[in-house]
Amino acid sequence: MSYFFQIVVSGIVVGSIYALAALGLVLVYKSSRVANFAHGQIIAAGAFITYFLTVTVGIPIFFSFLASMLITFFLAMSVEKIFLRRLIGEPIISVIMVTIGLGSIIDGLIYLTPFGTENYSFPAFLPQNPLTVGGVSISWTQLVGVIITFLLIGGFSWFFKKSTVGISMRAVSDDQFGAMSVGISVPKVFGLAWATAGLSAAAAGCIIGNITGLNFDTLHSFGIVVFPVVILGGLDSILGAVVAGIIMGLIQQFASGYLDGNWGLNGTGDVMPYIVLVIILLFKPHGLFGIHEIERV
Amino acid sequence: MSANKWLATGNFFTTYKQEQRTFLTNLDQSIFTFFLVVLFSWPLLFHLSNKSMLVIDNILIAIVAVMGLNLVTGFAGLISIGHAAFVGIGAYTVASFCRTMGDSHIIVTHFWPLLIIISGFMGALFGAIVGLPALRLKHLYLAIATLSFQMIFQWVINFMSFFNQGQTIFVGRVFWVTGKVGRKDHYLFWYFVILTTVVLLGFGIRNLMKTRYGRSLIAVRDNDRAADAMGMNPGLTKVYAFALSGFFAGVAGALHAYLYRGVGFESFTLHESISYLAMAIVGGLGTLNGSFWGPVAINFLDLKVGSLAEVVGQYMPSGMNLATALKPFTFGLVIVLFLMFEPRGIANWWRITKSYTKMWPFRY
Repeated sequence: MSYFFQIVVSGIVVGSIYALAALGLVLVYKSSRVANFAHGQIIAAGAFITYFLTVTVGIPIFFSFLASMLITFFLAMSVEKIFLRRLIGEPIISVIMVTIGLGSIIDGLIYLTPFGTENYSFPAFLPQNPLTVGGVSISWTQLVGVIITFLLIGGFSWFFKKSTVGISMRAVSDDQFGAMSVGISVPKVFGLAWATAGLSAAAAGCIIGNITGLNFDTLHSFGIVVFPVVILGGLDSILGAVVAGIIMGLIQQFASGYLDGNWGLNGTGDVMPYIVLVIILLFKPHGLFGIHEIERV
Repeated sequence: MSANKWLATGNFFTTYKQEQRTFLTNLDQSIFTFFLVVLFSWPLLFHLSNKSMLVIDNILIAIVAVMGLNLVTGFAGLISIGHAAFVGIGAYTVASFCRTMGDSHIIVTHFWPLLIIISGFMGALFGAIVGLPALRLKHLYLAIATLSFQMIFQWVINFMSFFNQGQTIFVGRVFWVTGKVGRKDHYLFWYFVILTTVVLLGFGIRNLMKTRYGRSLIAVRDNDRAADAMGMNPGLTKVYAFALSGFFAGVAGALHAYLYRGVGFESFTLHESISYLAMAIVGGLGTLNGSFWGPVAINFLDLKVGSLAEVVGQYMPSGMNLATALKPFTFGLVIVLFLMFEPRGIANWWRITKSYTKMWPFRY
């Protein structure tokens, strides 16, 4: 039974990371209807900037965490301003391919640095021995990661529910012309949406980096695996991203915990999200919390 | 048709039959024949090393695959981020024949044209299955459905011992009427085979676009509800489009398997899918000649960047692999620049040049 609970715990850890990574994607999609395939690269960039500031420059990790969030905030904002702004109203294939191209450019830039090929890990700043409750153990890094994730998600939810900027972002996602007519600058909101997405990506990158170690391939693969999560949650729902992230984490951990090794199966954790994705797309394409505006043929 | 059969100065069609002709003027026809003769005869006149021949063969295979992708993404407007998986289906069809019957079985070595066609149909079958979500989904959702097909394909190949867990499965040397195709003539031989395939399939697409079905593809892309109202079946059209594109990809995959004399997992990854999309976009979506320009451009870019990185790398600190950094960088940059400044791709430059030379010396 403790095996079961161990899997539940690690599922929640992985799931909350997915939720945080998915959040950035949802923020961008919600306001500007752009599916950002470069999200994984921004996550990786955020993690590497934090590492660089902590280890090479020598700033305390908490401040470098904040600083990298600030840097990706402006990075994502300028990406939107330079590349995506021109493509408003273009067909969806162009938008998708531009984000893929951007991802490739960031890939190239990261490969220029030593981070592209080698493995790093953050210096340990938390107790090393895991916390064990009733046979279920969780490391301090994971625990703190999950707590920070939920704090951040709560913060973002508050930001969207209550703050003026958040309300104007929701207004733009509801109706751009309506938002314009009450004096909201739509381009500014697009930029802000990208910026907050970049910020959350950096946070996700740091937490993933702390839990799994810094490896470029692992970090940027989050940009792809996050798509099943956002589709399950409904592409434009923050609550959906959180719930779906945790569901997906649980599914993944249960698959690799119970299927791997039996019946000659292997690596099911990696493929399970996509199998779930196909099933969702066939039966409930708008996801759990998404709006029902999907067009039927 | 005007009296002048060489230089058409406008449309003079009086029947639909005339409009459906493959070549509008005799000039077009002779230029095309000339190019074909040049393409088929130059390897006999000049001798290229196997290495450069491999590059050319590679480009031609990519052309076959991109023609299929253009059919589904360009003409039918359905985004497919899983095209390399379809190519992989074709290659692994050949591989599974080799696996079950031995890599030098007579079916693999003597009846390879048949096997290539079978691979095409396998690709078409999988294309139709993956296309089924297109009955309900559009745009981004469909793109992500094809993405998940790509990921599931990769997992299956990596996991099943039948497919050698993604390691190379060897394919035997083929026979031609002159006997076994040896190491020296291997790339030259496949150059001719692939070129013939490209020409045949290119004609296929060109004719397809003049049929009822080809036109309904474009109608469905532009507005599927209007197409529905006019009596076309948009859902079925989309599934057909996926199946057709799967056929092209399957053929490309089989050719790939034979050319490399082996099938390995690394040629059919998500990155390859993205490369095919980039080729289609750089070439020009929804044009036939774009399918030729795109692979040529992207492959040459890749080569040139590789050799540039080698040259520059000599002046850089060692331990730094410049090629791995520069290749994705330029690749992404080219995609982004094309989408921002020339979304219609190289085919648009071709169109401008063509109309300019046609009108010359008059500008209008």
